[in-house]
Amino acid sequence: MARTEQQSNDRFQGRWFWRYASPAAFYPVAGRIEKLSWALAAILAIVGLYIGFFRAPTDAQQGEVYRVIYIHVPAAWMAMIIYLAMAFWAATGLVLGTRLSFMMSHALAPTGAIMAVIALWTGALWGRPTWGTYWVWDARLTSTLILFFLYVGYIALAAAFDDKKKGDRASALIALVGAVNVPIIYFSVNWWNTLHQGSSVRPGSSSMASIMLTAMLIMTFAFWAYCVAAAMHRLRTQIIEREAETKWVKELVK
Amino acid sequence: MSLRLASTAVARREFQLFARRKSDWANPLMFFVIVCSLFPFAVGSESERLRLIGVGVIFVGALLATLLTLPRLFDEDARDGSLDLLLSSNEPLAMLILARVAALSFGIGAPLILAAPLFSFLYALPADVALMLALGVAIAVPTLLLVGAIAAALLVSARGGAILTAVLVLPLTIPTLIFGAGAALKVLFGESPVAELSLQAAYLLFALALSPLAASAALKISTD
Repeated sequence: MARTEQQSNDRFQGRWFWRYASPAAFYPVAGRIEKLSWALAAILAIVGLYIGFFRAPTDAQQGEVYRVIYIHVPAAWMAMIIYLAMAFWAATGLVLGTRLSFMMSHALAPTGAIMAVIALWTGALWGRPTWGTYWVWDARLTSTLILFFLYVGYIALAAAFDDKKKGDRASALIALVGAVNVPIIYFSVNWWNTLHQGSSVRPGSSSMASIMLTAMLIMTFAFWAYCVAAAMHRLRTQIIEREAETKWVKELVK
Repeated sequence: MSLRLASTAVARREFQLFARRKSDWANPLMFFVIVCSLFPFAVGSESERLRLIGVGVIFVGALLATLLTLPRLFDEDARDGSLDLLLSSNEPLAMLILARVAALSFGIGAPLILAAPLFSFLYALPADVALMLALGVAIAVPTLLLVGAIAAALLVSARGGAILTAVLVLPLTIPTLIFGAGAALKVLFGESPVAELSLQAAYLLFALALSPLAASAALKISTD
């Protein structure tokens, strides 16, 4: 036992970044990333919203209401990206057995779920004046709803075990199962129905005015920074909670 | 003991249980029958309206009936100790799970496949749609059991397992629901159902390849 521990320690000392797989070592780093991300999120949001609300022109067809796009689209993107990130950390945790990876997954899940809700909510508010209804069973709305269900399942599963380690690995597995299925679900829902306006942002050929696009991209980075900050905050809380019995936490909170 | 011997033993045990405890397959069937009978009370009994919702009602009813049998997959075995025997076997766990799911698909699926066309007539659907529905249910039941085996295996020892299994599994059954019900609807509207049917079958094959592995990993996690 002592020997294997020694071996694994050697393995982890081999490269500098392994050091940060330890919750104790990553805790202060997470704090710095969190502060930086909050600042970045605030600045980018102010700039992005200013350009989006005051500089970008009114839409020819939809009038002012289209401006919800600066919230709606970044939230929808983040909901998808966070699921991938969550599955990535889940896989890392399962393969390497690193506690921090599972905590990272858990820290991301609520933010991803919130992003899905924001996307659906703003989509409903946008749909009412433009489509005349809060909800249509269109492919992208429906897939976002299903994505939200997958987040909820992950969060509920992680909370269902008294044994934290078991909950970590169980929810990691379900995150992977979900990640494998997400493309299939997207494809099948697309097959089932498409009525949504075509995607307005494509690499190379964008149908949006460039100032609108600028505002939207800035807002996307703002959302990204917010998600990182929120996840880091949650991660730090979790580290403290789970490592409550260790010496360094006791010294930290003393 | 060879793998073939072990998997047939697992499957035979499943069939013996079905033969001796008839409620195991009769209760899901009754559930399906009752769910399908409830809808006309809620939406009205005009045959035009029933024809439009019939495919969906029968398909979702069959999925829910199958879903309710998922705890049977590992929970009882965990209680009576046979799960430990399964886990301590030298044979690959994934194959043994596959054998169980296959046996369960027959035991649960066959009554549902027979009942689905019957209810198609109560929903004023023509015979060709009824046959397509039976085929769709025949593909959907093993798909759900395969995907569901992962969740059932994870939740062997967890709190509130049954309801959580539903939350985890149902979103993942959407592809088979879309394509299975889609195929029957295509027939209803006089078009070719081949594309939907192939995609539904493709999803089954995909689940067949991956989910026994995931389920065995899940079982090892939850019984660790």
